[in-house]
Order: sequence, then C-alpha cells, then structure tokens
Amino acid sequence: MKKILQIGLLLLLVGPAVRAQGTSDPAPATRRTSAQATVSGYIKDAANGEGLIGVSVFVKETGSGITTNSYGFYSLTLPLGTYNLVYTYVGFTKQNRTIDLTSQNVRLDIELKEEGRDLQEVIVSTKREDDNVKDIAMSVNTVEMKTIQKIPALLGEVDVIRSIQLLPGVSTVGEGATGFNVRGGNVDQNLVLLDEAPVYNSSHLFGFFSVFNPDAVKDVKLVKGGIPAVYGGRISSILDVRMKEGNSKKTTVSGGIGLIFSRLTLEQPLFKNKEGQARGSFIIAGRRSYADILAKPFLTGDLKGSRFFFYDLTAKANYRINDKNTIYLSGYLGRDVFGADFGFNWGNTTTSLRWNHVFSDKLFLNTTAFYSNYDYLLDSDLKRKDPKDYFNWKSSIVNYSIKPDFTLFLKNNTLTFGGQAIVYDFQPGLANAASGGEVRTFGLENKYALESALYIGNEQLVSKRLQLQYGLRYSLYNYLGPGEAYEFQTDVPPNQRRFPVSTTTYDRNETIKTYGNWEPRFSAKYELNEVSSLKMSYNRLAQYIHLVSNTSASTPLDVWTPSTNNIKPQIADQIAGGYFRNLGKTGTEYEVSVELYYKWLQNQVDYIDGADLLLNKYLEGDLLNGKGRAYGAEFFLKKNKGDLTGWVSYTLAKTERFVDGINNNRWFPTRFDKRHTLNAVALYDLNKRWSFSATFAFATGTPATFPTNGYLFQGYLVPHNAENSRNNYRIPPYHRLDLAATLQNRKKKPTQKWESNWVFSVYNAYGRKNPFSVFFRQAEDKRTVTLNGEQVQIPVAEAVRYSVFATLIPSATYNFKF
Amino acid sequence: MKNTPIFGFSVIHVILLGLLLLGLSSCEDPIDIDLQTGPSQLAIDGWLTDQPGPQTIKLTKTTGYFDAAQPPAALGATVIVADEDSVIHEFIDVKGNGTYVWTPKPGEVFGKIGKRYLLGIRFEGQEYYAISQMNSVPTIDSLVFREEKPNPLEDRKGFAGEFYATDLPNQTDYYWIRAYRNGKRLDETSDIVVSYNGSFNGSADTDGLLFIQPIRTSINPDSLYNRNDSVKVEVLSITPDAFYFFQQLSTQINNGGLFASPPANVPTNVVNRNASGPKAVGFFGVSAVSSKTVKVEEVNIRPSED
Repeated sequence: MKKILQIGLLLLLVGPAVRAQGTSDPAPATRRTSAQATVSGYIKDAANGEGLIGVSVFVKETGSGITTNSYGFYSLTLPLGTYNLVYTYVGFTKQNRTIDLTSQNVRLDIELKEEGRDLQEVIVSTKREDDNVKDIAMSVNTVEMKTIQKIPALLGEVDVIRSIQLLPGVSTVGEGATGFNVRGGNVDQNLVLLDEAPVYNSSHLFGFFSVFNPDAVKDVKLVKGGIPAVYGGRISSILDVRMKEGNSKKTTVSGGIGLIFSRLTLEQPLFKNKEGQARGSFIIAGRRSYADILAKPFLTGDLKGSRFFFYDLTAKANYRINDKNTIYLSGYLGRDVFGADFGFNWGNTTTSLRWNHVFSDKLFLNTTAFYSNYDYLLDSDLKRKDPKDYFNWKSSIVNYSIKPDFTLFLKNNTLTFGGQAIVYDFQPGLANAASGGEVRTFGLENKYALESALYIGNEQLVSKRLQLQYGLRYSLYNYLGPGEAYEFQTDVPPNQRRFPVSTTTYDRNETIKTYGNWEPRFSAKYELNEVSSLKMSYNRLAQYIHLVSNTSASTPLDVWTPSTNNIKPQIADQIAGGYFRNLGKTGTEYEVSVELYYKWLQNQVDYIDGADLLLNKYLEGDLLNGKGRAYGAEFFLKKNKGDLTGWVSYTLAKTERFVDGINNNRWFPTRFDKRHTLNAVALYDLNKRWSFSATFAFATGTPATFPTNGYLFQGYLVPHNAENSRNNYRIPPYHRLDLAATLQNRKKKPTQKWESNWVFSVYNAYGRKNPFSVFFRQAEDKRTVTLNGEQVQIPVAEAVRYSVFATLIPSATYNFKF
Repeated sequence: MKNTPIFGFSVIHVILLGLLLLGLSSCEDPIDIDLQTGPSQLAIDGWLTDQPGPQTIKLTKTTGYFDAAQPPAALGATVIVADEDSVIHEFIDVKGNGTYVWTPKPGEVFGKIGKRYLLGIRFEGQEYYAISQMNSVPTIDSLVFREEKPNPLEDRKGFAGEFYATDLPNQTDYYWIRAYRNGKRLDETSDIVVSYNGSFNGSADTDGLLFIQPIRTSINPDSLYNRNDSVKVEVLSITPDAFYFFQQLSTQINNGGLFASPPANVPTNVVNRNASGPKAVGFFGVSAVSSKTVKVEEVNIRPSED
C-alpha cells in the first residue's frame, strides 16, 4: 500500500513541480537560451472550430517540422530568426505564414479551411500527405471519418469498428462477433478509448454495430505496434477514438434515418462574445434503434411489452478559459435492452473531464479524469408476474482514473511524461433467487484493484533522416481487499478443475498481491530518400485485467476479472519492421507499405474443458495459463488521390497458443487464427452528386475442433475426439462484397442551408452463406431402424454450417444537415 | 439447463428472436464434411436405479461420428457391479447384443441409499472400473399444469407442467430430472436437466428451498402437453461428478451459434486399471428415484398466470 501512495504522491508532486518551473516567467527562460525562440499555438478547422489532430507544421528554412497533438496544439523551438511556416493537413488548404522569431516567442493560432467542395476528393487515412514515409509511427492506421462515412457497413450504417476491420492485421472471429482481434491478440487485449476513457464493450447488438456514433467522432487511430509509452494497460492494440468538440462557429443539426436506427446530432457554440467568437461549444448526439417500435402493432399477447432496442447518447462540451486553459467534458451512455418476460440489458457509461493547460510555449499538460462503467442485468421475470418466483443477476466493472500527461517541446526533441492511476471495482456477479416466496441473495464479492503507471518518452530527431522514439513505462498493480484469496491444489493434472485448499481473508485496502512491470518502448525511422523509409519498433506491454470468455464470440455476459494471486498479468513483446514508400506523379498519389511482426505472449488465459465461468467463486481453479506467439506480414497499398481512391490490404499471419494439458501439449491455432486476409476498399466519385464504394473481404476459415468419433449415451449421440486435439480442422473461407452509393441531393438555392443525401447499400452482395462456425449435432428428427427384430429410433448425425447472414441485405439511409 | 448452459434461460432464443425481428437472417444448413475416424474405444452407458425390474449396462465401441448412431456392440465382456459390502451383481449379455443385464429376484431391488457401487468390466484384455454412489432424493409433492401457448407465435394452447419438490436440507444435492409423456421419455438434446440443490450450479445457496422456478417447469416438451396425456416426472439423485458430466453432455450436444462453447470431450468416470492402456468413454451412475405420474385433466390444472 505504501508503494501505491508513493506513486500517487509522486504523480501529484510532478504536476506542481513542473508547473513551478513552467510558470517562472517565460521571458528569462528565453533569455537563458537566448539563441532560440518558440512558436506555438492551436490549429483549428475554420468551418467549425474543431481542433485538428496531426496537422503538419513545416519550417521551410530548416526543413524540420512537427505535428499537432490530440488537442490541436503544436510547439516548435527554433534558433532566432525569421521563418516561413507551412501548415498542411490533408483535405485542407495549405497556409503559409512568415513569423518573426528574432526577439521573442510567438503564439500563433491558425484556422485551416477545408478545400473546395468541388474537388469531392475522398481522403483516405493519413493526415499529412507524406506521413506514410515521414512519420515515425509504424503499425498505426488512422481512418478519416470522411472515409468511414463512405463505406457503410451493415444495413447502411457507418461504423467505426467494422471499418477498422478492413485494415491490415485486424480481424474478427466472424460476423456479429463482439470486438476485434489485432495481430493475433484476443478481443480483450485492445484498449478502446473514447476521449481517453476505456470502453469495456464496444458493441451494440452483439458485434453488429459499435458504440461509437459516427456523427460525433472526429478521429480514429489504431495503434498495433510501436506503442508509445503514454499508452498502457492492454497488450495488443490501442483504438483511440476522439470525439468532436462541437461546432464553435454556428449551430448545426445533422442526422440520419436508416432501417435499423436513427441519429440526431446538435452542435452549438457557447459563450459567444460581441465579435461572435465563442469561448466554447458543445455537441450532443443520440441514436436509437426502433425495430421494436415498428413491430409494436404485431406484438400482442405474451409478446406485448417485448423490448429489444439499443440507444446511445454521446455528448461533449469544451470551454476555453483563456489562451492557456481549456477544459473538455465528455460523456457516453449507451444500453442494449432485450426481452419480453425474460430479459437482459447491458451498457457502458463513460465520463471524462480534461484540462488542457499550456504552461509555457514549450510545456503542454493534459490532465484527464475519467469514470467508466460497464454493467449488465439479467432477469427471469421482468414484469414480476409471479413475485414469489424469479431469478436475477447483475455484474459490472467500474473504474475511476486520473491521468496527467505532459508534453515538453524542445529543439529536435519532444518529451512526454506523466502517469496514471486507475481504481477498479469489479462485481463479477450478484444474484437473487426467489423460490416459493423465499428470496436468497448469493453471488460473488466485489473485487478491487489499483493500477498505476509512470512513464517517460522522447521523440528525437537525430538527423534529417533518422528519428527515434523511445520510452519507458512502469506499471504497478495491486490486487486489493476486502476479499478472500484462495490457494488451489497444485497436484492436479493439467486441464482439470483445481479445488481450493486454503482461504485467506483480507481487509479493506489491504494488498493481496502486487505485480510490477517495466515496459520499454522503442521505434526508429530511417528515411532512405524523399519517398521511402525503413521503420522498426519494439514494445513490451502488460495487462492486468482479463475478459473471462470461452465462447466462440464473446458475449455481453462475459465478466472482466482482475489479476489475482492466481491469475498473472498478461505480457506481450512485439518486434516489427517495415518498408514504407510513396509513389505517383505528385509523389504521394500512392502509398505502399510492408510490415513484418512477431509477438510473444505470456500468461494467456485459457480454460479447462467444461469450465464454469459464471457466478463461480473458485473461477481461478478453472483457468489455465498459456503462452502465445503470433507472427505475420502485412501488405498495404493505398491510392490517396483522384476520383478513384481506396486501398488493398493483405495479411499473412499465424497465431498459436500453447497450454499445458490442451491439444496433447502441442501448439494449436487460436480461434481467430487466419492464414490469409485480403481486404479491398474502392471509393469512386462519379460527379458532384453520385459517389460509389465497394468493399471486398476474404479470409481463411477459422479453426474448429471436429469430432473423430461418436458414441451413444442414454440415446444421445455424443461427439468424441479420440486424439483430444484442439482446432484440428478449418471451416470454409469467408468472403463478402458490399456495395454502396451515395446521392447528394440538389440544393434548390445555393444559399440553402439544408443539405442531405441518400445512401443505398447492399451488404453481402452475392448472398454468400458465410460460415460463422461448423458444428455437429444430432438432427431433430430421429430415424427408425430394426435392431434384433425390434423397431428402435436412433439419432441422425449431421454437420451444420451456421451463417449469421445467409442472404444479401439491402438498405437505404437518409442523412441531413442544416 | 434447458437449451443453454446459462442459468437455464433461453438466452440464445431471446437473442434470435431479437435478430429475427430486426430483419437479420441467420441460417443453419446441413453440409457434408469428411471426418477422419480415430481409434475405437469402449463406450459405457450404465445407469442403475432403485426401481423394480432388471438393470442394464450397455457396452459399445466408439465409431466414426456419422456412424455412431448404430455402434458396434462390445461383446464378450465380463461385467459386475459390487457394493461396499462386497455383494456382487453379475450382468450378463443375454441377447448377445452388448446389453448386459442383471435381473433381480422377486421382491428384490437394486441399491441402498448411502452405499457406494463399483462397476468392473473386463474387455479385450483390459480391466476398467467406475465408482458411483446412491444418494437420497426428495419426494415430488405435486405435479400441476397450466394452459399456455407453447410459444408466443402460436395460436394453439397446450399444457405446461410444473412439479413441486423441496431440496433436502443441510446437504449438497445433485439431481437429474426426467420427464415422460405417455410412457415415452422426452429425449431431445434439450431435455437434459440437472439441478444443484434445486437450483443451478455456482454459488447458489438454495439449500432446503423449493426447487426454483425454471427447474420446476423444465419438464415440458417444446409443444407442451395435451389434455389427457399421462405425464411422469422423475427426480434422480446423482453424484457431483455425474452432475458435471451431464452439464458437459448438454453443452456439447447443444452447441452451436454465435456463443458456442469450445468443443471438448465429455468427461467419463470409467478408468482403465492400466493407465497407459486404451481409455474408455461414457458414464456409470446409480440413482435413487422419486417419481410422480399424473394425467393432464381438470383436477391437476391450475388457472394460468396471465
């Protein structure tokens, strides 16, 4: 406990200490290093005042530059002199500024204007045209919301997570599966952040839609490797979703009406002054599915009152106190509700409060405090028709966190440092059972944990060609009381239930178990020439919380569990290297990249056969500890400009696991292992009114365990695998084509505010019955045979292909904005 | 445990209903798959009860999955069941079809509550054994019916049965619940119902309570019963490992869809004395049985709850 306090104190102390330094009058600081001065400021979108992330600021004279951070802030320190700066951002008109840095620091806020609409150019991904080659980041994919909006997924709805599944190295176990797998990682190994607050279940309606309302999302970044020290807590990837800040220029309303749900978004400036400049703005966006409302007239009798819908509400407000301070408050609330008599519902709630503080031209601080909650509730009798007999059950994961992140902009170095403390409160399952009027409450005690981390990282421009990014993160984890800790049998053969042998009770805040991990991070970029570069990276990541799930697709009922004295933290080491090149007449028309990666995974959670994962006090006795390895090559070709844009990605990969007692102690492919994955996205602008998109996805079938034999028991046909092998077959491959067309409606007058479009789409255009799984069962109907002169009924064995979508799914959506 | 392993609620069905109404279309179709057949093993299907009449143990050999509904019989085995007091019951394959039978003397029944039983098999040079115990079982107090629709989409009404029994207090009990309609056992894969202290497994502290709701109505066929059907409900006492066995059996033979469990072999309690010899599959259990048989007629019909 002392250690935690120390770290906590340190965190608190670091802030003021740096502040003291930073606020000690910038003038003397300038004098001390009199040969240099700094230009800094925020860069925003002229149309709506949104801060722009990743804008390139280039100094013509020195050939050096920098990009804006997640809040649109930049800072450049240069020798005294006069400079020509170029601000560029894909899709926006370039701006040139001459600045006088001969005597003092300059604050320069810039507003960039979107390029003329007539270009109708679709921008695919990178922010700076030559980021592919010039940026140190590798294994990073950013997808512009504009691009995502052109690739409607299921039922014509634009979806963030389904779009990133088209990127190299990203896959899923199948259609409708919650979450996504990155480079052989499990779904729980992705840190999904919504304005820096983690989202524990990123799906609505299982995996068909993600919780992110595309109308409220500004920027999506997926980091698969070379993960900077600022991030931690999950071992496979970071999906950093940033919400829009809201239009600070004018009030806008936008929305859409689709087959499955409708969306409505309001953006408005706040605290406008006389000149019409706003000090803040807000955005509020909501969605609700309405299948139940449409179905209402048909729901009579027992089905009356049936509920099956989901909704989400995303809101964010920002307020600029002065040039140095801005605060942001964002929140998300979403829920899925299913049921008639019996029902269950689940949802996430997140809130994050952020404070951006510019200490000086060189030192930037963002402090985030967040709250995140995921919970579900199951009830056998929602209407309490029979108050004497019911059963209900709830579970949740709640966490609170504070996270100061400092950025110090120095000449040729950008230093980042900070820390994070997360308090976890797990409710693994609490149930009430009433039988004949007597109610019993039972279930599991809450579990508590504290995860804290300190990190420091630097991005260094060693020479014009060589850039390094290196850092170190130390994470410390405490599994805390109150609670019971169990010790389990050690003499049990692997893959069998271990029973507890002793129990120790701990008091509130008493440490049950502590784990600490040093997590080094390193990336390097070497520019071979103007149009090509080599990059490599290494990172180690530790993960202290685990999603307990052994079904083929994870379910909303899966429970997160902390690391305990029996469950060790997961650790991943990854090395990656790649070649990046830009091609084409203008130099950046095409981007090509090849990346290779190898990953070692430790302490992977696996399950004994027949593990009991729900409401099981001794769950740890049913868990197994394994190791994993994943390696592959990712090829990516992208066309950035012209009427036809898009990309092709191909991934060759292998993901395996080794667990004592499973598959006869041999490595086996994981459930999400896919040898080949090919994704192609094409976007075509025919004219100002019509644009089209096509998406093609192909993937090797996922592994499955098939029986080798069978026998009868009490008339039931029981499948049996005589070799005891795991994932010994593969289901047939998956492929699918989606088509979409967008029609911009004509404006009646050029001044007309109302803009609208129609999106028509067909999902699974050639109606392939893609298998989600192949399983074996006895058919519903039995067969009558004569055995020893007796007529007997015997079961019939069959192999069944289960397809989530067996046909093509057309849809139309109407979107508007005013 | 009906339909899904999750607390007996038909979660999957609610989900499917949701998806159906949302206009999504999932689909299951039979396909042809070539499976490699593994080595054949001895399969034991032996469940002995304290009910009057002959007791049987079926021995077969495992075969390719698609042929397994008509497995080759395991012939020429020596099969005995001994109790703690070394009373030996010999099981004979009278018909020569792998069905080994012990026929009680007039007035004799198999088994005593609280006693442990050992199954011994000598087959093809290997010796196998299994142990089970006959535990106590509560009586079924009543069995009643309510008129209901089999599912909300049907107009027809049927009769849903509900039995009442109270878990034996101050001990941990495991039960296997079986139902018969007009003498025929309900034998769909979804009809495997087991209960822990009259409830589900886990940490449920329902010791000594009335069997909880979903268990009480877990005795119905999908189409429900008809008027004048003769319905029999049995509660069998089972051992903890039998409970676990049935859970796994149910999971594995009802395993499909989005949220399928990983396929795994159903456990067995039959052990080869020679640890490196061929393993057996299947299960040997002994149970005390309490049962109730009633007719679906006015006297047993209660007003429906709606």
